[in-house]
Amino acid sequence: MNRSLLTIFAAAASIAVTAPAAAQQIVGQPAQNFRLTDMHGKNVQLADYRGKVVVLEWNNPGCPFVQKHYKSGNMQKTQAAARADGAVWLTINSGAPGKQGYMTGKQAQDFVDTMDAHPTDYLLDPKGVVGKAYAAKTTPHMYIIDADGTLVYQGGIDDKPTADVADITTARNHVLAALDELEAGIPVSVTETRPYGCSVKYAS
Amino acid sequence: MTTARFIWMTVLAALASLVAVGPAAAQIGGQGRHIAMQMVPETSHPAPASTVTLAFVARPEAGWHGYWKNPGEAGVPTTAHWTLPDGVTADSLQYPVPQTLMIGGIMNYVYEGPFTQFAELHIPEGLARGTELPVTAKLDYLVCTHEICVPESRTLSTVLTVGDGAVPADRRARFDRWRKALPKPLGAQATYQIAGDTFRLSVPFPQGATATDAYFFPETEGAAVYSAPQTVTREGDRLIIATKAEGDVDGAVTGVLKVGPEQGFVVTAEPGTVAADAGDGGSGERGSVWTRALIAFFGAVLGGLILNIMPCVFPILSLKALNLARAGETQAGARAEALAYTAGVVLVCVVLGAVLLALRAAGVSAGWAFQLQDPRVILFLLLLVTGIAFNLAGLFELSAPGFANRATARGSGGAFATGALAAFVATPCTGPFMGVALGAALVLPAVAALAIFAGLGLGLALPFLLIGFVPRLRAMLPKPGAWMETFRHILSVPMFLTALALAWVLGRQAGVGGMTLGLGAALLLALGLWWTGRRQMRGRVAQWAPALIAALVALGGLALVREAPAQAKTESADRLGAEPFSEQRLADLRAEGRPVFAYFTADWCLTCKVNEKAAIETQAVADAFAKANVAVLVGDWTDGDPELGRFIERHNRAGVPLYLWYDSESDAPRVLPQILTRQRLTALPGG
Repeated sequence: MNRSLLTIFAAAASIAVTAPAAAQQIVGQPAQNFRLTDMHGKNVQLADYRGKVVVLEWNNPGCPFVQKHYKSGNMQKTQAAARADGAVWLTINSGAPGKQGYMTGKQAQDFVDTMDAHPTDYLLDPKGVVGKAYAAKTTPHMYIIDADGTLVYQGGIDDKPTADVADITTARNHVLAALDELEAGIPVSVTETRPYGCSVKYAS
Repeated sequence: MTTARFIWMTVLAALASLVAVGPAAAQIGGQGRHIAMQMVPETSHPAPASTVTLAFVARPEAGWHGYWKNPGEAGVPTTAHWTLPDGVTADSLQYPVPQTLMIGGIMNYVYEGPFTQFAELHIPEGLARGTELPVTAKLDYLVCTHEICVPESRTLSTVLTVGDGAVPADRRARFDRWRKALPKPLGAQATYQIAGDTFRLSVPFPQGATATDAYFFPETEGAAVYSAPQTVTREGDRLIIATKAEGDVDGAVTGVLKVGPEQGFVVTAEPGTVAADAGDGGSGERGSVWTRALIAFFGAVLGGLILNIMPCVFPILSLKALNLARAGETQAGARAEALAYTAGVVLVCVVLGAVLLALRAAGVSAGWAFQLQDPRVILFLLLLVTGIAFNLAGLFELSAPGFANRATARGSGGAFATGALAAFVATPCTGPFMGVALGAALVLPAVAALAIFAGLGLGLALPFLLIGFVPRLRAMLPKPGAWMETFRHILSVPMFLTALALAWVLGRQAGVGGMTLGLGAALLLALGLWWTGRRQMRGRVAQWAPALIAALVALGGLALVREAPAQAKTESADRLGAEPFSEQRLADLRAEGRPVFAYFTADWCLTCKVNEKAAIETQAVADAFAKANVAVLVGDWTDGDPELGRFIERHNRAGVPLYLWYDSESDAPRVLPQILTRQRLTALPGG
């Protein structure tokens, strides 16, 4: 069963996107399209959401920094706020099989349920193809793509790089701030920050 | 399936613990901590108005690592929250030299073994002895394996009691050991340049100093891509590190340059121009390097041109030019001879340049005219120049039948040899004129450097090329006649002066004995040549026998001068009578009432080396110091000796160079500036 699952993922990953040309997305330029299998086994393409603001969240449920934002409800709150504004929220897991944070579709569904999370979808990237194309380094690592498909923010979720829940209340939530600015039709003021957290557990 | 189940269980367990445990759940995934952390004050009894160092000694479990202050592409640095008594302040954490750890293409700057961070605590003045100072530090840090990360939090406390600041010997030894791993201040300004997608850093670093697996850990974010490989090249007294640029940064870039296990330097780099290395890379910067190379090349051509009128070259050249004119040869012949001469000059220049570059690469401290640092070469040149001078003076004739046929003496072969000789002899004259171009040659890629040496040769050969290729110029040369003989004799005068200069150089290198030997050999050669000349005049057979024998005996002198330079060298090194620095020795010398000049240096300190060569180890300073009975102490901080480090710190310097002057009266030393001049040093004993 495990083997067949792997085969499905491998196939999904191999059709995911055109090969990453640059190993990094540049703010102000079109974000690279990608296609991944979601936690229900359905294929999802970034281009499907053209016309809407898209938030990408790199996720690893085993990472204490991810836990800081989930157990406090901060990530869910941010998701809800984003979706209330009409934005699409894609949580992406680039953990490789055998590494911390790797999840099957079923495990991802359970995670979303247990955490009472509200992503538009949870995508699986076990080969790390999309993670590397976006140069996702940490969990969490956040990206915001505007309605035209242009990358307008990449970096940390906020400006307090700690695992301490108490810091959330005093931190600037870069994602909410950027979404508010997009909503108000003004340019995003903080477009790039240093992401913090655990390193993404790519296949070595 | 088993793996999947295991992970699933782990995730569930982790989630369960999340939900169950309250805010104190910072230590997820851990029964106990993965880094054992201990706080050790250097002294438990700090004096008022002083600074006490606190060490945070961290021992990660096997397989776990902690993070540097710039953790790399993931990870988190340590944060310290202090609870301190009124008036006491703490500086930010100091980190030891980190290691690189690449996991799945993500670069981490970490410590995989035990490491010690420091914090300086400032104790205010006016505290009574016995006052208790409770100190608490809450450290938040991240500890990871290759697979998982755990943020840990640790609250460490100690109570210091105001006292005399004494440091127990065993604690001093431990702190000394830990301190060795801290990066040291390099004391020299580095330069960086971002051109296209290349970040290039140039760090002044003496070519003699060792650097193994050098790596630059940027502390400034956004300058370099951490996961990109770094190429390290050494170009003379500089270490060049090239890697992929992250973006554009303004202002200074700071970081730590690692040059060995647990050995590194704090580097601050200002924006500037950094030459591309000899290899590829930096296509964006190629242009500027080749522009510089081109400018240096034309500078070299011009310098070579000027060399033609130097006393050491002019006689040879003018003779050759007259030879051409006298021969009144065909256009083709003149051209062939000009080309052969040029080839000789350029070849010798390029060969000398290549040898010089090879020596530089091998770490030998060689400058241009390095071949003239060997007294054997000087003696050989002395004999050669003496022979040429006597030939010009008419003592004997080179074109005599039976020894050399006219073709080799005056044809292309002869022209080639003359060119080679001119280039070889010209090198002592290059110094003042060629300094700039040659300086550029030594820091440019090897090919460009060789082009500059070729340019020097081309400049030297240029007038002769013109005479060979422009018949009008040749026509302007005076017609051959009896005046030529007189002119030749006059030209022997600068040649004799060149011989005199060489004898002086020989004397500087090999002492009076060496110079006498050289002059004796020259005299012997002259006698042999004279005899040969007499035999030539009378048309005797075996005309060259006397000169040949005399020359062979004179060249025997080469073997004899060999010992002299070694002696001279020892003399110069010990010129100041310097002794190794120790505080005990300093105290003893001061008790004797002697003035003391103490200097602190390190192999990796370029400023130190320059000061030593240009100011400290000079005869003028040695004389001035000897006259005033000044003792000289040298502290070598190359391996970061902590005892010296403490001494240096006490004089408000973070590192070398440090120059101290203790005159015989006052108690406190005078701290001299970091750039020394001979004048400043010789003036010390007087005032």
